[in-house]
Amino acid sequence: MKRRLSLSVLFSLVLAAMVFPPVTQAKDIVVGTSVALTGKYARTGQEQLQGFQMWVDEVNARGGLLGQKVKLVHYDDESKPETGAKLYEKLITDDKVDLLIGPYSSDVTMAASTVAEKHGMPMVSSGASASEIWERGYKNTFGLYTLAELYMDQILDLGKSKGLKKIALIYENTAFPRGVAAGVKDKAKKLGMQIVFEEEYGKASTDFSSMIIKIKARKPDMVIGGSYLPDSTAFMRQAKENRLYAKIFAFAVGPGLPDFGQNLGLDAEGVMGNTQWEPTLKLPGAKEFAEKYKAKYGHEPGYHAGGGYGAGYVLEAAVKKAGSTDPDKVRAALFALDTVNAFGRFKVDATGRQIGKPAYAVQWLAGERHIVLPVEAATAKVVYPFKDWGKR
Amino acid sequence: MPDGGRRFNSGWIGVVLVVLASLAPLGLNDYQQSFLLQVFLVIALAQAWNLISGMTGYVSFGHAAFFGVGAYAGALFLTWGFPWWLAVMKGAGIALLLAVPLGFLTLRLRGPYFAIAMLGLNEVGRIVATLWVDVTHGGTGLTLSPELLPSLDVKYFTMFALALGATLLVAGIHRSRFGLELRAIREDEEAAEMVGVNTTLNKVIAFVLSALIPGAVGAVYVMYTSYINPSSAFEHARNIEMIVVVLFGGSGTVWGPIIGAGTVMVLRELLWAQFPAAHLAALGVLLLVVVLYLPGGLISILRDRQRTRPDVLR
Amino acid sequence: MELLEPEILLQLLIGGLLAGALYALLACGLNLVFGVMRVINLAHAELMLMGAFGAYVLFTVFGLHPLVSLLLIVPAIFFVGYYLQRFLIERVVGRPMLTSLLATYGLSIILINLGLLLFSADFKSIPALQGSFLIDELAVSKPRVTAGLISLLLTVGVYLFLERTRLGKAIRAVSEHAQVAAICGIDVRRIRMLTFGMAAAMAGAAGVMLSVIYSFWPGSGVDFIQKCFAIIIIGGMGNFVGAFYGGILLGVVEAFVGGFASTQWAEAVAYLLLVTVLLIRPTGLKGVARA
Repeated sequence: MKRRLSLSVLFSLVLAAMVFPPVTQAKDIVVGTSVALTGKYARTGQEQLQGFQMWVDEVNARGGLLGQKVKLVHYDDESKPETGAKLYEKLITDDKVDLLIGPYSSDVTMAASTVAEKHGMPMVSSGASASEIWERGYKNTFGLYTLAELYMDQILDLGKSKGLKKIALIYENTAFPRGVAAGVKDKAKKLGMQIVFEEEYGKASTDFSSMIIKIKARKPDMVIGGSYLPDSTAFMRQAKENRLYAKIFAFAVGPGLPDFGQNLGLDAEGVMGNTQWEPTLKLPGAKEFAEKYKAKYGHEPGYHAGGGYGAGYVLEAAVKKAGSTDPDKVRAALFALDTVNAFGRFKVDATGRQIGKPAYAVQWLAGERHIVLPVEAATAKVVYPFKDWGKR
Repeated sequence: MPDGGRRFNSGWIGVVLVVLASLAPLGLNDYQQSFLLQVFLVIALAQAWNLISGMTGYVSFGHAAFFGVGAYAGALFLTWGFPWWLAVMKGAGIALLLAVPLGFLTLRLRGPYFAIAMLGLNEVGRIVATLWVDVTHGGTGLTLSPELLPSLDVKYFTMFALALGATLLVAGIHRSRFGLELRAIREDEEAAEMVGVNTTLNKVIAFVLSALIPGAVGAVYVMYTSYINPSSAFEHARNIEMIVVVLFGGSGTVWGPIIGAGTVMVLRELLWAQFPAAHLAALGVLLLVVVLYLPGGLISILRDRQRTRPDVLR
Repeated sequence: MELLEPEILLQLLIGGLLAGALYALLACGLNLVFGVMRVINLAHAELMLMGAFGAYVLFTVFGLHPLVSLLLIVPAIFFVGYYLQRFLIERVVGRPMLTSLLATYGLSIILINLGLLLFSADFKSIPALQGSFLIDELAVSKPRVTAGLISLLLTVGVYLFLERTRLGKAIRAVSEHAQVAAICGIDVRRIRMLTFGMAAAMAGAAGVMLSVIYSFWPGSGVDFIQKCFAIIIIGGMGNFVGAFYGGILLGVVEAFVGGFASTQWAEAVAYLLLVTVLLIRPTGLKGVARA
């Protein structure tokens, strides 16, 4: 009996040894990332990964980076910040990757960037835009996206020009949507507009009916959502069920994606949103990327795919400039870089925050999304006001 | 039951494990060391659950509540400039302060009512963390700046000390009169009361001790992940894990949670990054198998089958 | 304040009643099982999601309207429940409460994660019923009205079945006193299988109703089962009618809290009610059972 207990302990130790396989030294340049492949951010996370994968294929076809092949290691963070943090810990200490690409969503990036910072690894973050991320004094997080705070500026300007006053503002209770909301509140104040309704909701919320009934009572001119895809879709669906009307409906993320139109059909008509990128923008290689992406994955790339692709090119430019994958050299190169690729301009300030890229507003028109603002980049004219549910 | 031979034997194994764990940081890389840290975390939590649920039979479905409270307390005190060890103590202290009234209130409940009440309390914790935005930042969560964090070695040894402390506490109680009284409550609470056991006080003491440990563990955990949000602090999977680990190893025993933690963690390590869903499904299957076919846990196979086992969960 | 306008109160009330009817259908099934075999089925909400995903698959693959799939899903899940009882739950009936709690807990973990493997963690929804009925100025959501009324109908149907039919009376007899029922010649084992099958079918129907209103994913069950706990604690464990009223009550309270406070508070109501009721009345408001 004594022996049995000892044996069981020995057995556990052997099992433990299986967990620690010998480390092999790879010759490739290994890039690590975690993306949401499941959970709330899955749809957008997948696009980002696919965009990035296209860069990996292209750079290897061109003979690799610094003469070495680029290899991608990726995991699914389930849209959860805590899983993201664990995975970046694993990427850095276990997989020993050379370079890091950030996860999707500001939420997961807040957690993952702390791990990267702890290990002094620079991280090119293609899927995050809440300015909170760059207000913590970190030196290793490099943003690609226009800041969340600026997302709704053009739409608010439009509202102002039409004489609108009352705004209903709703947002998820996490980093990015709060960033969008902070930007809206700031801008509305400057424009002399009034927030007549404001409410946060939880990450898993799918029922907005009580909220909509309240919003209806305040009769807002504009309804603005700091949202992602599932919540903006559910909100519009329930807005129709409850006959909520406003002259402008605008949401973050959701309307910038093809799925928004697919899920809502005609109900998407006239809804505004914003985008970081569209294939129609006059950028070097944007059109080619969009064509290749469609050929490979069977659907148009959204801006998250463009971001993933752009992140690859930023990484490539930085490594070439640094001449190695040494974290300190890559970091210095990223700070100094000012480059334009298919996704747009990349230039960061001293905190790593993106300052080179403008914001674009989109609108769903006749089943397609078009850039409507700024006018220089527009592919269609803004349709105003939103058509009432009864008149469709 | 007193059994000098076995105690002597398991004592030796214990000493060997302690020495190995103390020397481990010398030979392991960061990731492997982090893995062991997580094993200690699970052992400490499992022992805490074992203390209340394994010994008294009051099954808690929400002990992660104390973990979450400790994690938030640890994160907050660290950001407010307290040294890490004080933050850990605050985490444990706040869990303890909450556990006293909660213990008196919830332990009046029997069977499923207690289990459900604890489950509800865990959710209440999550709600408070979500809605108390001024302090917790709500759903955004708290990130700890790297310069605030103690080194991996510090966290490793703190977690190790917690696991060891929790185990010794359970072992000590196991042999004491207090432990005997707790088991009497498990067997038949009314009868225990009739023979003069102060059941309420005993239960509350066990409950408070079992809340203190997750409180401290939570605070160390947040220093390890450097991030906490309401859903990760009050994660339901953590409750599942505590229960499965204890039952799998052997409920109400000293070694059960350790054997359970070792096995479950290795299984998890092999699966989680690649198959997060498969790993939890496997835990569910384990739980079913143990409940239906192996009520005494793994440890009951290892032991002499002829020996009566009064210390095993019915 | 404009919130006190009758029109808004009426809309909140209607929304609450409709949501409550769905909760009631789900909670009544849970309580039925508890009444007959003193087992709290922690996997009840996963049976519900089985219904929701069943409707999703039938809709996406065959284009079946959820109201049509309801006719297929209810009997299918009845059999799932029937055989679950036969091969799993039957083993834990009569054993300590902990054993059945843990066994159904294990079952729920397995089902959730099988769901994740099959359907991933993405939110799914079925865009089959959309828009609203307009009664004067009042807009009432079509999917909610449909789901609410069908849920109500089913719950009342099951109630009448229990009250009026021979089989229903046998179920109630077992619920009240299993040994006496057995002496009277009732096949208790078979009654338990039928009961569990029926409760599962109710959960499955609730799942189909859920699928036309909300978006859902394999982990959605956790919120629902905890709401059910709150409901059966309020309504009394094992009490079918109590669970019905409890469900309606929770739906209405949630709607009003959502209206007067916020959606985040509405999501917290069930837990706060649950804990408060338990701490004030240790055996629930109308508790019948002591473990």
